[in-house]
Amino acid sequence: MKPVQLFCWHFMAYPYLDKDFDEKEYTGWVTVPNRLWNNSKARGLYQEYIDQLAYADELGFDGMVLNEHHQNIYGLMPSPNLIASALTQCTSRGKIVILGNLLPLHMNPLRVAEEYAMLDQMSNGRLIAGFAPGGGPETFNYDVPSANTREKFWEAADLIVRSWTEDGPFAHEGRYFPLRYVNLWPKPLQQPFPPVWIPGSRSPSTMNEVAKRGYCYFLSSRSHGGETHKAQQEFAAVLEKHGDQYHPFRFGILMSTYVAETDQQAREECEEGVWYFLKNCLKGHLRRVGRQLTYGPGVPYIPAAAWREYLKGYTPGRKLLGDVENWEELEASQSIIVGSPETVTRRIQSLIEKAKVGNLLIQFQLGNMPDHLARKSMKLFAEKVAPALRQESLTQFTREFPGMNVEQSAEALH
Amino acid sequence: MSGRIIEVNQRKVQILENGSGAPLLYLHGFADVHSVNEGWLPFHDQLAKRARVIAPAHPGCAQSDEYKDLDAIEDVVFHYLEVFDALKLSEFDLVGSCVGGWIAAEIAVRHPEKLRKLVLIGAAGLFVEGALIGDVFMMAQPEYGSSYASLREMLFASADQPNALAMFPDGKGEIEDEVRRYQMLRLGSRIGFKPPYFYNRPLRNRLHRITSPALVIWGEKDNFVPRAHGETYAKLIPNNGELKIIPGAGHSAHVEKPEETAKLVLDFLGK
Repeated sequence: MKPVQLFCWHFMAYPYLDKDFDEKEYTGWVTVPNRLWNNSKARGLYQEYIDQLAYADELGFDGMVLNEHHQNIYGLMPSPNLIASALTQCTSRGKIVILGNLLPLHMNPLRVAEEYAMLDQMSNGRLIAGFAPGGGPETFNYDVPSANTREKFWEAADLIVRSWTEDGPFAHEGRYFPLRYVNLWPKPLQQPFPPVWIPGSRSPSTMNEVAKRGYCYFLSSRSHGGETHKAQQEFAAVLEKHGDQYHPFRFGILMSTYVAETDQQAREECEEGVWYFLKNCLKGHLRRVGRQLTYGPGVPYIPAAAWREYLKGYTPGRKLLGDVENWEELEASQSIIVGSPETVTRRIQSLIEKAKVGNLLIQFQLGNMPDHLARKSMKLFAEKVAPALRQESLTQFTREFPGMNVEQSAEALH
Repeated sequence: MSGRIIEVNQRKVQILENGSGAPLLYLHGFADVHSVNEGWLPFHDQLAKRARVIAPAHPGCAQSDEYKDLDAIEDVVFHYLEVFDALKLSEFDLVGSCVGGWIAAEIAVRHPEKLRKLVLIGAAGLFVEGALIGDVFMMAQPEYGSSYASLREMLFASADQPNALAMFPDGKGEIEDEVRRYQMLRLGSRIGFKPPYFYNRPLRNRLHRITSPALVIWGEKDNFVPRAHGETYAKLIPNNGELKIIPGAGHSAHVEKPEETAKLVLDFLGK
């Protein structure tokens, strides 16, 4: 058994928007005017963010997480593989998690297979390979038809893994990506292939596809109430149906945190960054003001029957994370956990206890949070929060999952 | 469910039929029978007084089975060739609105011999430089999580008119109406999302193949398919009069001005 794995996730937000952004601009996604990009301010921004991730490696985090976004202020990583490449050169220990490359946006999935294989070699086997289908905004950014995105996604994911594991050349007789000669150079270093993580938002079909292939399921929700625990139970049940067993490292969640010396100081120091993140970065994604592009009838990627089920429980105009109006509401969402090391430890501890989750992917830098504060929070977390979480979770996991070999990676099932 | 179900190539197709006389095939668009309303609209009732109106639901719409291998407009055309065979229709009048108008035009350029007369109402399908067809997908994402005003604005002359509000109300509509709207968007995504949106570049250079008389009708203020598309259709289809404009209507002229639009159509068809 091993303790909870703590990863540092960086979204690389655009931090230089004026204070009246929310008032003046309709959205932070897809159509957010790029005249707002300020070159004199943005010079050196990528370096600052890469250095923060390298610092996470120094501090002993188990890994660093990147993901892919296009045409928004929420995440400036159209190609996370470029940042991952830089990390292979300035870090030495932690896993490099890319969660993930958006497969339906790529003309040819082999390119992803090749780049991931290169990254695995360049990082000495530290890659965790994430695949994601992309959501509503990407549909518009890259002009990807929705109705068959999921099928296309799984064909691409399976082709990539096959290209890593099966000797080439072979022909891929696929519907979406037919190829005559699949013959990967280089191969990935990790054998039989790097761990694969797939994000989902509790859809049974995604859980099923993930379980079928023995991959790790990552819950993409940003809020953690009872739903997180439910997702864990649902995934565990799906694994069982496939003759497999749940353990904490089959599951991961995304959360945000800020740690300072005291509760009050934590709130004071992070509040500006937190509101920048909620009101600007989430506008167009997890806010009802403007037009939320992430999920809706205009991005019809689920079958009509599933849409009918969704409508039954849906309340139009309900509040999303970015619509919280005050600090108390934000605290209740359990999305951003802010406080002293004691407070943060206690709250994350209770989340792990309930959700039996082994992979915590934690966002430290929020919105326009300055470098020195992000680093201070990361350091306090690493020194004052992480040790207790590791110790407690190890005890919990050993008790709850006795005799389970979690080092047996999902891939060994193949 | 209304109408009947026929089967083509192991796929169910829902058909509504009303009236008697020579067959008139109607292909629906976004604000229409099958894609919002379960049954006929006043426009179709008018047509059915003079003709046998047959309205199939597109693949994946209403009670028609989804056609999973459907990627492009070409697949829709072949689907309809099978429907015509199943219905034993060899020569008929073809009326299409919006996306249905696009499908009608694609059928007409391939099989002009099947058509007695062709009517296009606010038809998508053409690439007209500088006049992109609107983004109905983005507009279908509600504002504030509940307002469909910009979708209504796109599909009608104004967002506040009663027929627009009845079809696309704010907040939570009837679940089955919303599901039909969703199904139509899903079909739209298959054939019209890429390239953006709803056109087939080669169609324009094929329009000269249409031999039947044609009538092109456009709403005065179409915010979805710009009027330049109507002008292009009218110019390039050989046996065609001038573009007919319905005053005060938007994209969905047949819903907004059913009497006037139906009269134009019936007069043209000689009914």
